[in-house]
Amino acid sequence: MREKLKKLGLKLPLLPTTTVGSFPKPPHLLEARRKSAAGQLDAGELHRLEEQTTREWVALQEEVGLDVLVDGEMYRGDMATYFAKNLEGFKISGLVRSYGNRYYRKPIIVGEVRWRGPITVEWWKFTQGLAKKPVKGVVTGPYTMMDWSFNEYYPSRREACLALAKALHEEVKALAKAGVKIIQIDEPAISARPEELPEFAIGAMRTVTRGVDAYFISHICYGAFEFIYPGMLELPVENFDLEMSNSELDLIELFREHLFSKDLSFGVVDVHSHIVEDAATVRQRIQRALEVLKPEQLWIDPDCGLKTRTREETVNKLKAMVGAVREVRGSLKS
Amino acid sequence: MELLAASTGSYPRIGNRPEQQRHRQAYAQLERGEISNEEFERVQNGVTREVIEEQVRAGLDVVTDGQVGWYDPISHFARKLEGCEIDGLLRFFDTNSYFRQPIVTGEIRRREPILEGEFIFAKGVSPKPVKPVVTGPYTLAKLSINRRGVGLAELVHEFARVIAQEVSELAKAGAELIQIDEPAILKNRNEFGLLKNALEEVAAGKGKAKLALYTYFGDATPLYDKLVKLPVDVVGFDFTYSPGLPKLIARLGCEKGLGLGLIDGRNTKLEGEREVIEVLKLIAPTIGSERVYLNPSCGLGEYLPREVAFKKLQNMVAIAKKAGELI
Repeated sequence: MREKLKKLGLKLPLLPTTTVGSFPKPPHLLEARRKSAAGQLDAGELHRLEEQTTREWVALQEEVGLDVLVDGEMYRGDMATYFAKNLEGFKISGLVRSYGNRYYRKPIIVGEVRWRGPITVEWWKFTQGLAKKPVKGVVTGPYTMMDWSFNEYYPSRREACLALAKALHEEVKALAKAGVKIIQIDEPAISARPEELPEFAIGAMRTVTRGVDAYFISHICYGAFEFIYPGMLELPVENFDLEMSNSELDLIELFREHLFSKDLSFGVVDVHSHIVEDAATVRQRIQRALEVLKPEQLWIDPDCGLKTRTREETVNKLKAMVGAVREVRGSLKS
Repeated sequence: MELLAASTGSYPRIGNRPEQQRHRQAYAQLERGEISNEEFERVQNGVTREVIEEQVRAGLDVVTDGQVGWYDPISHFARKLEGCEIDGLLRFFDTNSYFRQPIVTGEIRRREPILEGEFIFAKGVSPKPVKPVVTGPYTLAKLSINRRGVGLAELVHEFARVIAQEVSELAKAGAELIQIDEPAILKNRNEFGLLKNALEEVAAGKGKAKLALYTYFGDATPLYDKLVKLPVDVVGFDFTYSPGLPKLIARLGCEKGLGLGLIDGRNTKLEGEREVIEVLKLIAPTIGSERVYLNPSCGLGEYLPREVAFKKLQNMVAIAKKAGELI
C-alpha cells in the first residue's frame, strides 16, 4: 500500500511509528472534566485546558520521534459515547457494570441516527496546525458504535449498523475535505459476532470509506481473530492495527497459514502493563513480524490506546518502541 | 398451564439515585482499605435485600439474590476451588462485561460451600421463592485455561463433581428450583456429550429440587431436540438469538418445563405485549409441562441500568398476567 501513501503525498520511512489514539489525561484535566460534568466549570475553560494538554502531547510525540501523530483524545471520554453525544438519534443510559467496580454509561439509539456536522474536524485542524508530521483522524466505527449501544429504534443490528455507517461516512468525508490523509476507524468490537462480518460489518465499512481519498487504518483489539481471519481481510481498509504483544503473538502463526495481504500496524508494547518493555523485547517482536510480512507492509505502534497508563510510562514505552524501530531500520538497510 | 414471571440471574447492584450508590462506594472503600470485609459484607447484604425487594415489587413469582456478591459467573466459583488460579480479564461471550479467567493447574476440589450461605441469606429475606443460579460445569471448564495436561473431559468431570455438591447442599437448604447456566454449549455443539455427562452427574444430587438448565448468548435451535432430553426439569432459552425457536417448539413440542427468554435482557427497549403473546400462543398448545416461566433472556446485572431493569421486569409481569388470561 506504499503506492497509496505516495499518491496522497505522504513520505513515511520504513516501519512508520504511530500510536492508537488516546493518551493519559493529566489529573487536573480529569478534575476539570468532572467539574464540567457537574456544571461547575464552563465549557470554554474546559476547552482551553484540553487544548493546552493537546499541545503538550503533540510536543511529546515529536520529541519521542513518532512518524504519524494523533491528537491524544483529551476531549473524549468513552469512545462510543463521545460520538453518540455528537450524533443525532442518541440518548445516554444510566450506569451499566463492566467488571469489578467499573461502571459506564452506554449510548441508546432512540431515533434516526444522523450526522449533525463535523465532530472531530476542528480538533484535527488544531493538532495538525501544531505538528510538522502528519496527524491521523480517529473515528469510532459503525459496528462498534452499534454493538456498544442499546437499540430502541432500528429493527435489527444490521439496520442500526448501516445507519451509523452512513452518518460516520459524513464525518470521514469532512475529515478528508479538511486535509486528513490517514484515517483510522476503530472497530474493537468487530469480532463480537463473527457471522455478522460477512453479513453486514464489511458492507458498513465500505459505506464509511467509499469514495474517500485517504489511507484507512482499522484498529481492532481484544479480538478473537481466529474466528474472523482471513475473512476480515475483506474489510475495505489499507491497514489493520492489531493488538499483538498482549496476545502472545499467536497471530503470527495464523499469518503463516494464510498470507496477510494488507499493511499491518503491529502492536509491540502492552498498554495494560506498568512495565516498560526494553528495546530488545520490542526488537524481537518486530523481527518476529518480519518473518511473515514484508518491511513495506509493517507499521509499529502500541497495542491499544495508552490512556490508562501514566504519562511517564507512556513516554518511556514510546521511547523504547521508537528506539527499537530505529535499530531494525538500520539492520534492514545494511 | 401455569405461566410464572421469573428472574434469570443477576440484577444491577447500583442505580442512579444517591442511596443506590452504596455498593460502589463501599467497594471502593474496601479496595482502599478503609473498611473491613465484614463492613463491606454488611453493605452487600443490604443491597441483596434491596434487589430482592425490587424484584418482588416488580411482581415476579420467582426471584434470585441478584448475584450482588459475584465478581463474575466464572471466578465466583473458581476462586474458591483448589487447583484453580485466577488470571486476567477476558470478555464474557459477546458482551461488554468481563470475567477473570481461571487457570487450572491442579485437581479441582472444593474447599468450602460456595453458594449455600448466599442462598440461605436470600431465602431468609425474600417473601417469594428464591432460585439459586449455578454456573454449569461445562461452561466453567470451557472458559478456563487448562494447564493440567489432562483433557477437557476430565476438567468438566471435576467441575461437575463440585457443582453436584453445590446443588445437593442448595436442595437440602430448601431450594425448590435450581438453575444451571451453560451458555458455552451453544457455540460448541460438537461437545454436547461432555455437557450431558456432566449434567447426569449434577442431577444425581438434586434430591427434591427441580433443575433448570439455561442457555443464552447463542442460537439454541440446532441443539433444541438434544437439550430437552437432558436429565433436567426445565430448559431455558435466549430467544433474542434464536428467531427460529418458537416454530421449532411448536413443531416438536416440549414435555419439560420451559424458561422462555422472550424478554431481551441486553436492550433497554421494552417488549411489546403483542409480539410476546403471539409467541406464547404459538407454543402453548404443544407444551406438556404444567409450568412455564417467562423471564429475561439473561441476567440483567451487567447489561442494563438499574432503572431500566426494574421497568423491564414490571413490563414482563404485565405481559405474563395478560398472557395467563388469554392462554
